[in-house]
Amino acid sequence: MSIRKILGKLDAFIPDSMRGPVDLGTKERNYRQLKSLLMAAMLGIAMVPLLMVAGLSYYYYKDLLQKSEREQLEWQLDGATNSIEHMVDSLKSAIQFTTKGDRYGELLDQQNLEELLSRMQYHYGFFADLGVIDANGIQQAYSGPYGLTGTDYHNEKWFRDIADGGVHISRVTTGFRKAAHFAVAVSAIDPVTRQVWVLRATIDSSTLQKFIDTIKTAATDDVFLVDDEGILQTSSRFYGETLSRFSQEIPAGIRSGILDDGANVFEAIGIIEDTPWSVVILKKHYLQQEEWQDFRKKLFLIVFSCMLAGILVVVVLVEKLTDMIKKTDELQLTMLKEAEHTNKLASIGRLAAGVGHEINNPLAIIDQKSGLIEDLLLMGEDFQYKGVILKNLEGINTSVGRCKTITHRLLGFARRGDNRLETLQVCDVLTEVLQFLENSMVKKRITVDLQKNEDLPLLRSDKFQLQQIFLNIINNAIDAIGEDGLVSINSYVVAGDIRVVIQDDGAGMSEEVAAHIFEPFFTTKEQGKGTGLGLSITYGLVKKLGGDITVRSQVGKGTAFTITLPINNESV
Amino acid sequence: MNSTSDDKHKMSESGLNEAEPPKIKLLIADDEQEFAATLLARLELRNFDVTTVASGTEAIAAVEEAMPDVMVLDLKMPDLDGLEVLAQLRKKYSDLKVIILTGHGSFEAGREGMELGAFDYLMKPVDLNKLIEVVRDAHRQG
Repeated sequence: MSIRKILGKLDAFIPDSMRGPVDLGTKERNYRQLKSLLMAAMLGIAMVPLLMVAGLSYYYYKDLLQKSEREQLEWQLDGATNSIEHMVDSLKSAIQFTTKGDRYGELLDQQNLEELLSRMQYHYGFFADLGVIDANGIQQAYSGPYGLTGTDYHNEKWFRDIADGGVHISRVTTGFRKAAHFAVAVSAIDPVTRQVWVLRATIDSSTLQKFIDTIKTAATDDVFLVDDEGILQTSSRFYGETLSRFSQEIPAGIRSGILDDGANVFEAIGIIEDTPWSVVILKKHYLQQEEWQDFRKKLFLIVFSCMLAGILVVVVLVEKLTDMIKKTDELQLTMLKEAEHTNKLASIGRLAAGVGHEINNPLAIIDQKSGLIEDLLLMGEDFQYKGVILKNLEGINTSVGRCKTITHRLLGFARRGDNRLETLQVCDVLTEVLQFLENSMVKKRITVDLQKNEDLPLLRSDKFQLQQIFLNIINNAIDAIGEDGLVSINSYVVAGDIRVVIQDDGAGMSEEVAAHIFEPFFTTKEQGKGTGLGLSITYGLVKKLGGDITVRSQVGKGTAFTITLPINNESV
Repeated sequence: MNSTSDDKHKMSESGLNEAEPPKIKLLIADDEQEFAATLLARLELRNFDVTTVASGTEAIAAVEEAMPDVMVLDLKMPDLDGLEVLAQLRKKYSDLKVIILTGHGSFEAGREGMELGAFDYLMKPVDLNKLIEVVRDAHRQG
């Protein structure tokens, strides 16, 4: 699959509201959804590698520890096996030594046998008794605490197995002695009778226990011997006293398992050669338990703090990002709305110009026709209705005049074309306009407060259009004041633009009125008094000069128009 | 309309009564026949020698046939645009006085017309007295 295809598949997960920019239609971006999607993606990117690394180190380190553990256990087992084998060997050789030569006849003698036993007990300390068994399995002589002379062993498996020159070590049993012990039997051939005889010594199993105890180290939790049927030969910490059951199967080697109490345990089993025994070493937990726990603690701490930091960063980042997207969207939406508004005004303007033009010609005809009638009437003689007709013609003339004002303004609204740029001082233009309006203002007792700001930079703009803009606005102010009032005009520089604020203390207007004030044909004046075109033309002119015009008004307090003009008008 | 109807009456009367001996030869080029015809009637009442044509080509032909004193030219005509007519006429008859009178709202065209040497630019509907005034001015300068 190509990368493009994969990307295509991923793309399918992105919800519709997140594709493309916002528009004015119904498609509203779901920011909550966007936020959670971003959050999920970023958390995924941040957390998955972290968890993977953490998991990998956890398992590799555990494996490493287990390996070294196993190695240690292996040589412990080796050592234990070797020393037990060594012990068994020395035991065997001690008994074998006594069977050398023609001792058979000698040992049948009770006194000799007891002497031998006491000598061996003196040397080794752990022999319990000695017995001499003839070729038929009958115990011929016995030295020890139990009267066992005459016991028949010929059916015992061990007896048949060691018939010529063998050595046998028995499992630990209680037997008829009622005390745990094991026996070592050695066979030899009597050079006199040429018959096989057996010397059998029993050893108290506490000897075995003592020996095992000596090879126990701190590194192990339990060491014990077990026979090939799974019966304990020495006592165990976990499995109980001697002769308790350990397990059915005794496989040699090292394996890990879980104890009944849930702890991890290593179990090492080594078979002791030529005996029924195996040595078992148990190691509960791990050797490096502390190290391991320390590592786990540290790993958890690192992973946890990384995750915490990651989540914090992601949350903050996503919050900022969605906020930014939201703000950008809002800005875009505002701009779209403004563009739509401007577009609307422009198309209304085109329509108005078209209508104005189309009406102008028939209007001119009406004007001329009525003029002709008037001419003819004035030339002709008086008659009954002459006065009435002339009066009506006057009405037509007045109406044509009104229409003419409207059509000419309509045409002016859509007036396009080049601006004639010149360098000028805004205050000079304002002064000129005010001179123009002086008469009507004096008549209405309106004062003008023009703050001449001498520091204003020169402006490159179209003087004629600026005049028309100011004229329209100041005229509006005069109309709003009626009589007795103040128009104050300020100008200053804001962020590289020149701002002119024309404020009156007139009637003011409501918010709804202010919202429509720049639309063509919108007027609050009584019918016939205004065309509703003045401010829309002004708006168009200001926009054409690359500027902006806004209005602020409060009912009863007055209205302020703010006209912003770029100093370097490069758009026109 | 700045003038009151009273003023207009007086001026109209004066216009009607004042008949200056040398009639001004006036050519009106306008495709609005009704307008042109009415204007013609009213101007004749005021002792002007008026001819009307309804297209650009006719206008050029009329000038070539008989040079008028003043020409009143509409900008939007079916065959030739007023500005083209003006441009063509300026080449041959540089001293011909042309007054642009149009219902076309473009100040642009007006400006262009003035640059091509038109005497003045008036918008329809125009007060007859204002037109006559401009025509007289043009004639006086011619």
